[in-house]
Amino acid sequence: MSDSEYDYETLGLVAGLEIHQQLDTATKLFCDCPTELRDPEESTHRFTRFLHPTRSELGELDQAAVEESKVEREFEYLAYDTTCLVEADDEPPHRLDEEALETALEIAQLMDMGVVDLVQVMRKIVVDGSNTSGFQRTSLVATGGQIETEAGPVGIEDLLLEEESAQRVAETDDGVRFSLDRLGIPLVEIGTSPDIRSPEQARDAAAQIGMLLRSTGKVKRGLGTIRQDVNVSIAEGARVEIKGVQSLDDIDDIVRNEVGRQVELVAIRDELESRGGSVAEPIDVTETFADTDSGVIGGALEAGGSVMAVRLVGFDGLVGREIAPDRRLGTEFSDHAKRHGAGGIFHTDELPAYGVTEEEVAALRGAVEATDEDAVAIVAAETEVAASAIEAVAARAQGAIDGVPEETRGANEDGTTRYLRPLPGAARMYPETDVPPVEPDPGEVETPELLTEKVERYAAEFDLDAGLAEQVAYGRRMPLFESLVADGVNPTLAASTLESTVTELRRDDVPVENLTDRHFEEVLGMVTDGDLPNEGVTDLLTVLAGEPAQSAADAAEAAGLGAAGDDEVREVVLEVVERNGPQVEEEGMQAFSGLMGECMGALRGKADGDLVSQLLREEIQKRA
Amino acid sequence: MNPGDRVRVERAGDTYEGVLLPSSTDDHLVVKLEGGYNVGVDRAEASVDVLEADVYDVERAQDGDGSSSEIEFDEELPTISLISTGGTIASTVDYRTGAVTAQFDAEDVLRAVPDLAGRANYRGRVVTNILSENMTPETWQELAAAVAEEIEAGADGVVVMHGTDTMQYSASALAFALETPVPVVFTGSQRSADRPSSDNVMNAVCAVETAKGDCAEVLVCMHASDDDDTCALHRGTRVRKNHTSRRDAFETVGASPLGEIDYESLEATFRGDYQRRGETDLSISSALETDVDLLKFTPGMDPAFLDVADGKAGLVLEGTGLGHVSTDLIPKITQLVEDGTTVVMTSQCLEGRVCDRVYDTGRDLLEAGVVEAEDTLPGTAMVKLMWALANAEDVEEAMGTSIAGEITRRSAPWT
Repeated sequence: MSDSEYDYETLGLVAGLEIHQQLDTATKLFCDCPTELRDPEESTHRFTRFLHPTRSELGELDQAAVEESKVEREFEYLAYDTTCLVEADDEPPHRLDEEALETALEIAQLMDMGVVDLVQVMRKIVVDGSNTSGFQRTSLVATGGQIETEAGPVGIEDLLLEEESAQRVAETDDGVRFSLDRLGIPLVEIGTSPDIRSPEQARDAAAQIGMLLRSTGKVKRGLGTIRQDVNVSIAEGARVEIKGVQSLDDIDDIVRNEVGRQVELVAIRDELESRGGSVAEPIDVTETFADTDSGVIGGALEAGGSVMAVRLVGFDGLVGREIAPDRRLGTEFSDHAKRHGAGGIFHTDELPAYGVTEEEVAALRGAVEATDEDAVAIVAAETEVAASAIEAVAARAQGAIDGVPEETRGANEDGTTRYLRPLPGAARMYPETDVPPVEPDPGEVETPELLTEKVERYAAEFDLDAGLAEQVAYGRRMPLFESLVADGVNPTLAASTLESTVTELRRDDVPVENLTDRHFEEVLGMVTDGDLPNEGVTDLLTVLAGEPAQSAADAAEAAGLGAAGDDEVREVVLEVVERNGPQVEEEGMQAFSGLMGECMGALRGKADGDLVSQLLREEIQKRA
Repeated sequence: MNPGDRVRVERAGDTYEGVLLPSSTDDHLVVKLEGGYNVGVDRAEASVDVLEADVYDVERAQDGDGSSSEIEFDEELPTISLISTGGTIASTVDYRTGAVTAQFDAEDVLRAVPDLAGRANYRGRVVTNILSENMTPETWQELAAAVAEEIEAGADGVVVMHGTDTMQYSASALAFALETPVPVVFTGSQRSADRPSSDNVMNAVCAVETAKGDCAEVLVCMHASDDDDTCALHRGTRVRKNHTSRRDAFETVGASPLGEIDYESLEATFRGDYQRRGETDLSISSALETDVDLLKFTPGMDPAFLDVADGKAGLVLEGTGLGHVSTDLIPKITQLVEDGTTVVMTSQCLEGRVCDRVYDTGRDLLEAGVVEAEDTLPGTAMVKLMWALANAEDVEEAMGTSIAGEITRRSAPWT
């Protein structure tokens, strides 16, 4: 879909962002466990639980929670030697982590926000199993800020400090399996005002917020540590919340596709209005398919299930209509049926197909008294599932008559979205009484330097070239770079090692993911102390990546990478000069570059190039 | 300006709009914003506009929705009496104090735990509405009388919903006070009912199913493990809360639980013998001599603690090891016994039998007239001594005899 297809201003596009960023704190938000991700295979024990929705303090039940709980599911949790009873919901939460709150206050300052006087931790009901407690602990820390984008300022509505959910690991026969390692990692959520008016501005705002977050140097980096949610509506459409956009680069596509989806749904609404569209009561049409050759339907019937059908008056041709790339109105119906446990739906816009014959389609139309203007959707499944799934399909079809339903959708990898659940309301929130409210002190927080400012400072103060300065400032090892420089490491060496060297090593298939801050500190510390020449850094890091448990000093010694002493260097240089005696006498200094290469090769990174060059010059001069 | 009003609060350029809630501190106004978040705003710095009065009836919302549930009678189903005493199984949050308090009667339990519907005809009864740490021996007597009345009125089983902190004391008291022809099942929850993950649903369902069953004893029905899959059925006199917060905090001390009930199949299985439904007629002897205390001995303890026991009817000591206290305390104990106080020895080891014949200190304690409570748990021994002083002809003999499964005659290894 090309950009020029829509005039966003005329359509009345209103969009907002919610950015979720994990913080890189020492401990979790409500317990003293490390914020470390684990492999499910390292799990030490597991347990199973059920969840039931509860009322808010105002006596209300949340719609999203009620719908979620209709799906009876058992949740299995994997626990580790890095998780405790708090994650297992077997111990009250500890106090709010101070390091996390401090980072949140820094972020509030960067976005020019007002901090609340009393932070009250809330429970946000989430009964899909991703939180063992059945709620996510979340707190509003600040409100009313602003960021700049090329297309103008975007308001920041709120800054929330909350706990990360448990990672979904697998579907099991009875429900879902989650891993507790991620549960409780501090997370900030930044919500913008609905000030965004174009897909490009959405992406720009997300990039700007990301830059501000990384400026603190206290956020986690890498896949899954930042997630973007996008709220989109057009004037005639409705507010749709799209969850889990993984990459910044997808944001504009997601907004574009959602606008397209809403435009198509509005067109379908108008068409249905002119046709007098309506939705009939679902009925049982199992008899119609008694002798079917369709594998899907036959399989359900053999297992003792039923086929339910709903007549969609005036829908002929509309169910199969594409509303987003490769997604039809029927796909939406199918999403809803799946939520209720069915495998999907069939509808008359796509039949006969899938083993369903023309005769069966005719019989189906007859059974529900559908005319040629109507469509029919069917669900074949276990009797109870089929009944609740067809109700969900009917409800969604009714929604199509009304236009665009307000809902929560999930981002697909291809830039489209799928139905997840109804929009949550305020009723899902009630206070977490186990955690006392906190009075934050924004006065004590220093405003972090922005990454944009860092780039300029690195260039001016450390004489880094602009490209390298930007790379290291925006890179994930920026805090390490600053601490290395503070420890006396040459800034250019530090920056080029952390960025260029690591990139080169990765290209050479060296397992650089094994390299921790300690490795860089030790290796570059050796250089600073004169124990390792610059030329040895690459080789030593390569060794350490392969054997990360070793100390840099031990690894250097074992690999013979330590700095050679002046005497040793002079010996090697002398040997090279003598071996090439005739050439030296004949060419004099002309022989320098060839012999330099030979010397460096013989010393294998153990000597500083400046020293070798100096000694070599001396020896050549003696003989020339 | 009252809780429940819709307000706009201005504070140093920031505006908060929402519903005013009761606040737990005097310094801050608490406002529930549109999105559901509560924030606190400095009262002194804030200027408040009431936009609309009484948008919410906060008090009533917190008491439940105020409607009474219509429970239909089904002749096919047994009748189970649900007795509520307060506690987290049916608690809600008090937003004034910020604490979890019990505010429900038994019918609210049905509303709070819809999974109970259709399993039985329920009779609801509220004996008290207090946290279990605030209970007294008088509460146990009221509870025993209420259970007896329910059974007389035709209940086929009784479920007592109770705070977990002192459940073991109440269960012991009822075990001594009642001869029951039907199950009397205590249950509660470790994780409060206002959270979706509360253990109240499974515990309540399993308790009701156990109360419909064949084991006519006073039982405690709580999570058997950290999983929502099985409840353990403990004898009321042998059970102890052994963890502050875990779901499976309750354990039978010194043995496996009497039985288990599977949450999925709802089938109960028992180890060893138990009293069957209808084997005995209902009788109640709930008199208690409440002038009894439990004292835990610790090294270097001020002997003056024993002075408090002067003139008491009974004193249970929680001694070290096989049942010892410092030799320095023995003269005072001798004097207490001589003055008519029954002094009973239990062990803070919890597992194992008291035996004061092994070491000199023990022999001196026996000489002083201390009564050994065998392997009775200290808390159970205290309740039992209250009961025995009011009901037994020979208190010393009673303390050495198992009346409600509190003493194990054979110390069979179990782990």
